Amino acid sequence: MHMKKLTFFTLSAGLLMMLAMINPAKGQSGTDTLAPQVSTLRDKISGVEDRLATAEADLAKLTKIKLSGYIQAQWQHFEGANIYPSNYFSVRRARVKIAYEPSKGVAFVLQPDFQPGNFVVKEAYTRLNEPWLKTFSLWVGKFNRPNYEVEYSSSDLEALERSRMITTLYPGEYAIGAKLEVAPQKIPLKFQLALFNGNDSQVYPDATGVNQNAKDNTDFDNYKDLMARLTYAFKLGHWGGLTIGTHGYFGGVRAVSDTLLKSDYSKNKSVAVGSKLNRNWVGVEAQFYVDFLGGLVVKGEYIMGVNAFPGYNSTTSTTSFTSSVNTTKDTVTQTYTTLKTTSIAPNIQRNFSGYYVYLIKNIGKRNQFTIRYDKFDPNTKLSGGDLGVASYNASSTTTTTVKNTFGTSPNVLVNKEVNTTKVNNSLTSGLADLAYSQITLAWSYYFDDNIKISLAYDIPMNEKAGTAGKVMSGNYSAPGGTPTKLDYSNMIHQNVLTLRFQAKF
Amino acid sequence: MTKYKVQNTNYINMKKKSFIVTGFAILAVAFFAFMPAPKKITVKGSDTMVILAQKWAEVYMKSHPEVTLQVTGGGSGTGISALINGSTDICNASRPMKQSEIDKLKERYGSLGVEIRCAKDGITVYVNESNPVKELTLKQLSGIFSGKIRNWKEVGGPDAQIKLYGRENSSGTYVFFQENVVKGDYAASCQTLPGTAAVVNAVKNDKYGIGYGGAAYAKGVKDCLVKKDEKTPGYAATAETIKNGTYPISRYLYIYLRNRPTGELKSYIDWILGPEGQKLVVEQGYFPVK
Repeated sequence: MHMKKLTFFTLSAGLLMMLAMINPAKGQSGTDTLAPQVSTLRDKISGVEDRLATAEADLAKLTKIKLSGYIQAQWQHFEGANIYPSNYFSVRRARVKIAYEPSKGVAFVLQPDFQPGNFVVKEAYTRLNEPWLKTFSLWVGKFNRPNYEVEYSSSDLEALERSRMITTLYPGEYAIGAKLEVAPQKIPLKFQLALFNGNDSQVYPDATGVNQNAKDNTDFDNYKDLMARLTYAFKLGHWGGLTIGTHGYFGGVRAVSDTLLKSDYSKNKSVAVGSKLNRNWVGVEAQFYVDFLGGLVVKGEYIMGVNAFPGYNSTTSTTSFTSSVNTTKDTVTQTYTTLKTTSIAPNIQRNFSGYYVYLIKNIGKRNQFTIRYDKFDPNTKLSGGDLGVASYNASSTTTTTVKNTFGTSPNVLVNKEVNTTKVNNSLTSGLADLAYSQITLAWSYYFDDNIKISLAYDIPMNEKAGTAGKVMSGNYSAPGGTPTKLDYSNMIHQNVLTLRFQAKF
Repeated sequence: MTKYKVQNTNYINMKKKSFIVTGFAILAVAFFAFMPAPKKITVKGSDTMVILAQKWAEVYMKSHPEVTLQVTGGGSGTGISALINGSTDICNASRPMKQSEIDKLKERYGSLGVEIRCAKDGITVYVNESNPVKELTLKQLSGIFSGKIRNWKEVGGPDAQIKLYGRENSSGTYVFFQENVVKGDYAASCQTLPGTAAVVNAVKNDKYGIGYGGAAYAKGVKDCLVKKDEKTPGYAATAETIKNGTYPISRYLYIYLRNRPTGELKSYIDWILGPEGQKLVVEQGYFPVK
């Protein structure tokens, strides 16, 4: 609009100047003289109009690109003994979201994260909105998994980080796949149905601790995971509103070894390598908003189900050769020793449950106070006393010796082959089964439209694990690299203080 | 024993200091958190409502000199964005808030916002005074503004190309007219203008122009009667036709707040909904809610 005004002004000024240049004092007939000049002016105006139309078309293209993003820089102090350095500054997020909408209903979205030392494309998808009912949209690419806390932007999180349950079940938040979203314009209902690779950002370590699922852009197996989420928002008159919802995850991961354990570490059954291990869970959610001296929110989610973890299966083989000479008996003995070691971890399905509850109070336009309690028990079939005790062990060692003797005394050659097959096939309950709960206290101050300053204190509380005779411990390296152990039979102090500065545009 | 006493005294001193520091910190937070709001109220949003909002503010400030009301337009979408990002206290909107906008308000303030219907308006279709076309059906209007009908001849007018004038997409009127009349995309040839007054002015100066906007602005142009369909009679936007629902393109005008109003804000809203405020609604060419 400013451009149009400017052009109009320029045209008017130009016209006045040209009219001023027309000199009637020359004595020519007014109409005859003016006619060609008016014609010239018309042509010029027409030319300017064409140029304006071109400029407007170019500008219209630019308005199809939308840029947004945020930067979160923070200082954290870790009270845990196992973290060194215990305080540091870091850049948690440095994201730019670029959305290009070439035509109505079509959007291309790209969201890179420029975190120092870790450039990642967090989102990259195409969205097609159906233009008739304006209800359906199809998403293809990498985008948020359909879940309340996952879809809640990091820039808006009141407790600064997502709950342990959500970060465990949906690591990295984003996944590659396709999604159909149904959101009628007049009904406050939303339904999402998505199909994903399903193993995005999941860590499946092998015998040496290397992640077997290290490729971000392809799948770990042929099994695709289905997710569905349905929400409905009620209005509660002048008081506020209530949104309720449910979501489900129905997927699987391929078995890497041939044994499947139950949640209590007993053998469930033998499975074929490559077969599907189910990962199924369901959840319910509610967000209650009440206008009580400003916004007051109580929201929470509960999820329960079965999660599957593939084991590993790898074999190494070493051969050594020794020879010995017995000069008395005049014999030579040659020994070939082969050691074949197979390291197997059985697959396991763990029953889990978890929940989180937020209480958020906004005071005025600028202040927001939050208390969150969250709990996640990754193995509901084992109590604290079972941890480090419950285990599965099918390890074995077999040795065979083949001996061939050549020649007769006094010149005898003994050729001996010693074959040892060692199978390490065991799994013991441990940190992966340890339940945690956490209290988070947070305060956010909205300095202006773009700047938010937050202070949060996390108090995680681990389940006390291990029995009197068998204390469960975890390794860590103390400052200077000294190997030390954490005793999980006690509550481990590992509180975290975070001071975060966020700039959003 | 003595050593213990010294240690104990130090401990108590430290504890006292900690309490004082903590106390100050809590007071500082409380000061910022509960700082009383000044009596300056900002109003932003709908261009359709901007004259009405300015009149409300002007009259209210006369009787309440301790209150400062700052009114700006920009469009309903702009006003709602301002309400979400905290840069306005009151948002005027000529359309209801969208679910996505309510969601943003929820995330930021934990509130669904407060919707107040403060007036009724009929969206008037303006044609040039020299245009012989007197009435149009909703279907014809849809055809005209979507670009399917391009010549006045097709709707009983002269053989001339129809020139379309409309609002920018941040306007609530733009959205309302699109959803309730056009029911699709506007024609690319529709020239967008930054306010209803500009639309009226454009139509006034263009023999073959047609535009839409609030009833209050229709000066120097001809109100085109609107028919629901071919069989029904055409109606102009009047107090009676809007009240009895016979005028097909009528709507509520809204005031949106983040939370239920208190203090001066509440007094102002009560005043708008009261006899004085509603009298101004009528004086400005709109229609009262009751």
